[in-house]
Amino acid sequence: MSTAAPVLWQKNPALAWREIDDETVIISPQDSVMHELNNTGSFLWKNIDGDKSAAELAELLAANYEVTPDIALSDTQALLEEMSSRKLVVTVPATGGVTT
Amino acid sequence: MNAPLATSGRDSRQQFELSIGCVPLRLQMSDAQLFDAASARYAAFTDGAAQPITIALNDGAPPEGALADFGYEFEGAVLRAFSNKICFDGVRNQYALDSLLRVLLSWKLLGHHGFLLHAATIIRNGKAFIFTGRSGAGKSTVASLSPEGTVLTDEISLLRREDGIWRAYGTPFWGEFRAAGSNTSAPVAGIFRLLQAAENRVEALRPMATLRALLPNVLFFSAEAEANRQLLDIVNQAAKEIAGYNLSFRRTPAFWEVLPA
Repeated sequence: MSTAAPVLWQKNPALAWREIDDETVIISPQDSVMHELNNTGSFLWKNIDGDKSAAELAELLAANYEVTPDIALSDTQALLEEMSSRKLVVTVPATGGVTT
Repeated sequence: MNAPLATSGRDSRQQFELSIGCVPLRLQMSDAQLFDAASARYAAFTDGAAQPITIALNDGAPPEGALADFGYEFEGAVLRAFSNKICFDGVRNQYALDSLLRVLLSWKLLGHHGFLLHAATIIRNGKAFIFTGRSGAGKSTVASLSPEGTVLTDEISLLRREDGIWRAYGTPFWGEFRAAGSNTSAPVAGIFRLLQAAENRVEALRPMATLRALLPNVLFFSAEAEANRQLLDIVNQAAKEIAGYNLSFRRTPAFWEVLPA
């Protein structure tokens, strides 16, 4: 039986972004749209590096903010979906499944 | 120093040199009608500065095998920037030329720590007051309510950081106010986001709020991520170093009374 590899997330490399005063400003050059992330959004953004799944990002969020693991996972998944719909993040092709 | 207006030695092309925001440009073209229109439109910005960037209009001969560092197309007019030459092709009138010049300047200004902004610039007591906002925000209204001879532009302002000081330059890019433009500059007093209201009031902005006010009004046409990163750094520095305000204003000259001196 094989289990699909976890989906990993990375920033869209076509974007321009900078951290400013604990917030993150992102520009989509293709459509000249500006996006902003608040403090926790910026924390997740910094850690979206192409090597982490939503669950791993949620663990980091729970460890650094006063939030339960369940809420951290729910918030992380919601933010990833929102950023994905805006083409700010993309999934990394799985390099291989986990076989059990 | 080169003559600002001259006939080129090669075939029948004519050329003239201009400087916008201290960015020197040399326009070469063989279309006599377009030459007359362009040299009249940019008369106030004619300048024989050293080492201008040469722009070949409708030359149709890009460097062989060269890849453009930057390209842009607008309604059939095409800009291609190579390392040693800029080509504008498909330019049928002065308006197309004006559009490509704005696009080129927005890109070239990255190397001069500057940017173009949808804004009116008014000089008062030797300082430049920048009034920013999209179409309909009141830029031309502010210009029309200001003393004659003090308006550097009512549409597109040019800001550059020089020796640690932000300066605003006049541009030949105008909106409804219509004027020849003024090729001068002044240190920036502040950036004011225009909000039409029943009373005149100013509210100081934090740098992040100033950045929010600036970014949607910056003119920039490159889709390259690295160029956009450079732009973001420049505009962010402007937001940190220039005082930013929301300006609620009525359509009367009295709005000047609430502005900081």
